[in-house]
Amino acid sequence: MAVAVEPKVMTPRATPPTWAEVNRDIIKTLDPPGRGWFLGMAVILTGLALGALAWARQLKLGIGITGYTPPIFWGTYITTFVFWVGIAHSGTLISAVLFLFRSGWRSAVYRAAEAMTVFAVMTAGLFPILHLGRAWFAYWVAPYPNIRGLWSNFRSPLVWDIFAISTYLTVSATFLFMGLIPDIAALRDQATGWRKKIYSLLSFGWRNSNHEWRHFMRMYLFLAALSTPLVLSVHSVVSWDFAMGIVPGWHATIFAPYFVAGAIFSGCAMVITILVPLRKAFHLERYITVRHFENLAKLCLLTSSIVGYAYFTEYFIAWYSGNPFERSSFYNRVFGEYWWATWTMISCNVFIPLLLWSKKIRTSIPWLFVISLFINVGMWFERFVIIVTSLSHEFEPWQWAYYTPNIWELLIVTGSFCWFAMWFMLFIKFFPSVAIAEVKEALPPPGRTHAGGGH
Amino acid sequence: MKRRKFLQVAGVTTAGLAAGCGTGEGEKWLPYLVPDENLVPGVPTYYASTCRECPAGCGILVKTREGRPIKIEGNPHHPVNRGRLCARGQAALQGLYDPDRVSQPMRRQGERWIPISWDEALQQVSQALAAAATSGQDRVAFIGGADSGPTDALADEFVRSFRSSRRIRYEAFAHEPLREASRLVFGTASIPRYDFGAARYIMSFGADFLETFLSPTEFAGGFARSHGWHEGRMARFVAVEPRRGMTGFSADEWVAPEAGTEALLALGIANAVFRQGRARVTGGDADALRGFLARFDIATVSRQCGVASDTIERLAREFTDAEPSLAVSGGVALQHRQATQLNVAVHLLNAVAGNVGRTVTFPGTVWDRLGTFADLKGLVSAMDAGGVDVVIVHGTNPAFTAGAAGFASAFSKVQLKVALSSAMDETTALCDIVLPDHHPLEAWGLYTPVSGVTSVQQPASTPVHDTRQAADVMLQLARLANRTIGGGAEDAQQLVRRALGADANQELQRGVTTTVAAARPVRLSREFARLSFGPATFDGAETGLVLLTVPSVALYDGRGANKGWLQELPDPATKISWQTWVEVHPQTAAAASLHNGDVVTVTAGERSVEALVYVYPGVRPGVAAMPIGRGHTRYGRYATGGSNPLSLLGDVTDGSGALAFAQLRVTLTPTGRRVPLATTEGSPRQHGRGIARLAALASMGQAHEVHEPFTAAERRAIARADTAHREARYTLGDYRGEHPKWEMAIDLSRCTGCSACVTACYAENNLPVVGESQVQRHREMAWIRLERYFEGETEGTDFQVAQVPMLCQQCENAPCEPVCPVYAAYHTPDGLNGQIYNRCVGTRYCANNCPYKVRYFNWFDYGSPASPQFAFPGTLAWQLNPDVTVRTKGVMEKCTFCVQRIRYAQNEAKVSNRALTDADVQPACAQTCPADAITFGDARNPDSEVSRRKRDERGYHVFELLNTKPGVTYLTRVVHAEMAEAASGEGH
Repeated sequence: MAVAVEPKVMTPRATPPTWAEVNRDIIKTLDPPGRGWFLGMAVILTGLALGALAWARQLKLGIGITGYTPPIFWGTYITTFVFWVGIAHSGTLISAVLFLFRSGWRSAVYRAAEAMTVFAVMTAGLFPILHLGRAWFAYWVAPYPNIRGLWSNFRSPLVWDIFAISTYLTVSATFLFMGLIPDIAALRDQATGWRKKIYSLLSFGWRNSNHEWRHFMRMYLFLAALSTPLVLSVHSVVSWDFAMGIVPGWHATIFAPYFVAGAIFSGCAMVITILVPLRKAFHLERYITVRHFENLAKLCLLTSSIVGYAYFTEYFIAWYSGNPFERSSFYNRVFGEYWWATWTMISCNVFIPLLLWSKKIRTSIPWLFVISLFINVGMWFERFVIIVTSLSHEFEPWQWAYYTPNIWELLIVTGSFCWFAMWFMLFIKFFPSVAIAEVKEALPPPGRTHAGGGH
Repeated sequence: MKRRKFLQVAGVTTAGLAAGCGTGEGEKWLPYLVPDENLVPGVPTYYASTCRECPAGCGILVKTREGRPIKIEGNPHHPVNRGRLCARGQAALQGLYDPDRVSQPMRRQGERWIPISWDEALQQVSQALAAAATSGQDRVAFIGGADSGPTDALADEFVRSFRSSRRIRYEAFAHEPLREASRLVFGTASIPRYDFGAARYIMSFGADFLETFLSPTEFAGGFARSHGWHEGRMARFVAVEPRRGMTGFSADEWVAPEAGTEALLALGIANAVFRQGRARVTGGDADALRGFLARFDIATVSRQCGVASDTIERLAREFTDAEPSLAVSGGVALQHRQATQLNVAVHLLNAVAGNVGRTVTFPGTVWDRLGTFADLKGLVSAMDAGGVDVVIVHGTNPAFTAGAAGFASAFSKVQLKVALSSAMDETTALCDIVLPDHHPLEAWGLYTPVSGVTSVQQPASTPVHDTRQAADVMLQLARLANRTIGGGAEDAQQLVRRALGADANQELQRGVTTTVAAARPVRLSREFARLSFGPATFDGAETGLVLLTVPSVALYDGRGANKGWLQELPDPATKISWQTWVEVHPQTAAAASLHNGDVVTVTAGERSVEALVYVYPGVRPGVAAMPIGRGHTRYGRYATGGSNPLSLLGDVTDGSGALAFAQLRVTLTPTGRRVPLATTEGSPRQHGRGIARLAALASMGQAHEVHEPFTAAERRAIARADTAHREARYTLGDYRGEHPKWEMAIDLSRCTGCSACVTACYAENNLPVVGESQVQRHREMAWIRLERYFEGETEGTDFQVAQVPMLCQQCENAPCEPVCPVYAAYHTPDGLNGQIYNRCVGTRYCANNCPYKVRYFNWFDYGSPASPQFAFPGTLAWQLNPDVTVRTKGVMEKCTFCVQRIRYAQNEAKVSNRALTDADVQPACAQTCPADAITFGDARNPDSEVSRRKRDERGYHVFELLNTKPGVTYLTRVVHAEMAEAASGEGH
């Protein structure tokens, strides 16, 4: 790629792989899956089936089978929705924004991150439907000419959501696919049989010519530029689902940037969570190096600080506003019945990431993995705290209540993780989860130090 | 409903009634082949009748649609309830349509019930009656409830015709001590009539006169007139009782004497009246009373009761300063061993204050002729000794309420036990034959709750099942046994028509005849002096808690338990539904480390029941209170929950032969289990948010600092935005023009918290009953709820209870509307927040964004017969209001201001080509409010009552700061107490 041509990006200690090795190592990840993969898939599909059954029961009997306790009308579903939308953010950030900023280190991780983005949006998109009282009428929210003679209410943030999510899904899927084309061509060249036919189709006849590369790079740049605003807009819109409400704890102007930072934070953590096992399973240590993880960790550290600052601001403004409802709501968050959720959130999102200041820790893969898990948990709880705690303690004291999710909701939420994992597992076996072409760009071209190899 | 309209409708329907709405045989519910020309589909027909849910005898209008009663409202001509009705009256429909009603005659075989024919059943019973009459005197017994008029006389005659005098009018709450006290003090064994409306000072010694005591709907009206703030004046109300219930919530002051010493306190106050020289009795009476009362030295009384001498002196002063004042007693909760003495003491207090003949009169009431608990005990021992062959039970359930008399075991020794009952309750289950009775809404009768008031009872529908009215059954039984009773009348209808005379049809239209009965003057009798006065004693260890069994506002003596609406109605005091709780003071609870929802065993001697702890500042330390009404072993699917505290009681009576409902000290033993309370209570405190506001009387009328949440500039900006907003809305539809703006005003100075509005709303708007497990999750569907907040320090007695009916505020600037993605929540031209169920997809965003939290979600499919949560099983579905959609699962709903009534009135006005006035429309809640606290109407019309009340200086909106512009204006409750200041904070 024209933009990241520094050959020195690889750590000097390791011998850089040759282009041929790149092809071999990365295409090797697509080998027929072993027992581990099938075992994992079996677990995942079981979880997915249980979630689907739970949803079927919910459709049949009503959403009352969940633990919803008025006035907490939104619970784990919306929490998990926002969680997945958040996860989806780092993909675009890494692939588009870092691309525009010419951060070469992204090349090894961006494919996985982008795939994660698409699948996370696909998962997130389930929840607004899952949580509806009448899910079978979900399409009524979309504006389209209909015999009901009724247009959607464009003042409702829920309608904006539809646009935000669908746009994001379209653009990120396009971006992922476009970036895949040269790699698919490489696969095509090695594949045989029906695979070859499919890859041929998907590669759009890519011949690796300079002419094609020139157009490709242009297109990629434009798509990156197009995606970049979405990183900011999608989660801003999602945050307005809350900020546009008058619920104390929701009605705050800080929400858009606060949510975007949180999204990137959780996304980076999720990338780490996914890459660590992926790298191990496919022996990609030479491509996804400690340096990549360290950079992701730094990004986490940065966004963790922003999120921590946002927390502080929220509490400060609640106090400073003098608004008794806000004050009461935030006091309740920390010292009320949901103290455990709030403290989980603060510990996981603010305190634990402080460990990343230590170079030793942020270059240690096991440490990073564990910390990333904590961040994932913490960011789920952030949304839980914002949604549930605020709703549990609104204006009307007579209607204060306490909600705990029950087994059906948890099955559905677990099912959503399985749904995500299923797509990812399929993806890594059908497409290269590390970008072949871009990794090669970062390597010394063949012929200078080694002979042969490559296309 | 306007008077003229009512007469029109009633006239037409009475004609129809005379033609074919009797209790004749062979009538069934059938679809129309040839439509009745008097029945216009879509147009309701009203029948005037009398509510028989308690002995109070309120007049009702039963609204029927296409032949089926769908709603009950008070009869505005009726002197008792003046068009109002309580929750129990509203719920009578669910007794009519009880899915577990006995639908045909049955014979018991072991535990099984075998259907038999009416002929066979009547034969068998009449033979047994004739045989019993032959074998001797008094071998037949008839146990009924309170009754009057020709059906009552018929029962007497019936029993007599079988050579027996064993007829008992048994009511669990017969208030015998009050009647006995009247005899002892005034020489007339009569329940007095109280004029709360005239009283300027009210002192209640444990009489729950706004809940179940005598005639609560009548009393609530009078109480609201006198105690509701009106142009700077209001009566003061002092509640003297060890447990402060819903009635006590309206009190300006709570005096909590040691349980059992209330009589001494009343006598102490009366003594103080004399000592202060304020007594209004003269002559020999004065000397006799002074001498008698001097025995109750104030210092001693103060020590015995635990009430300060200053308080006693002050109460005496205040009580006599006000003219007239009123002291009432006789509540079931304080029916202890000294109950007669307590009522005597309160009578004396009224006498010395000169209230007798003014606020306390003795016209004669239906309660005067009730049997006592001792009478029932007499019958029980006769049954036990085998002295009774046939017992007929009608309209009462002694096996549930009179366990203390050993009723069940003696009853089962009787050869033939016959139930004339419409429900399979505990007593019916013990019987050998059940001859199912009409529900009162299907039956004929004349009822005289108070002398001079004759209230008509006529069928509002043909019988739902194969049932017969008890009076008809008696006539038929007598005929079969060759006896003539009832002057040879064919049936109950004839009895009633004969009694009404030539004007019967007019009487049936009006529903009530009122004659001015000369109040019987009374003189002081001195018989009371031979009673011995002292603190009531309670059985059990001194360390135990005195157990008060409290009549339930919703379930009365348990008869309401088969009705889902009443089971789900949160108790006005504790806000718990479906369960039986035991109230303990926070100190008691802390000492025993009891928490809300702990399951405890309440033990008295050998007996025990389980109940859930509710920590409640409204009981004295050392007292535990439990509600009467739950713990049924029979009585249908809705009655299964809870436990029956009456089963703890022994057959202890007081001097009048009344059961001592308060006779025990109990111990509470935790079982280690904890169950979530089925309560609607979130926080019992309003945290200074100004939702239910109180103001001290002293502060009224003075210029007080108004807390304005916005600056002038902000106000201007808001006004500008409002105008723009409204203009924008006009472009969305034909919203211009002369639409009314429907608004409501709720006067908290009148609201007593009785919750009649809640049940009325269930009836009008097809609200589903969701059951205990869902209420535990706060998923109740009541569109209007009563919030009850404690104000002030609840450790002692010096706290106020602020109550507020909360319903959709129909905001002009509604937060629910913009967030709905599908326009299910939208604004109507006449200022309502419409909710279109068909459009709703169930995002529930509207409910999140509603600051008042008055939107309710259909978590399950309550309206579908196929659903396990179906809320209208069996004949209950017949009650559904055809003008209101039954909601499906997954949609949001909320108060509509009874939009179906608005639209109906609009159509009517259009048809008769006249303008719609706000008098044409009344939502169900406003219609039924016994205290007339709710006013509804067109706020665009400056002369409407609602506009007038809106302009009241006490008016405020809840959460004004949010600029939602609610359509409901609340009027601050004014209290005498000084501490009200604490709660009067402006809207935060």
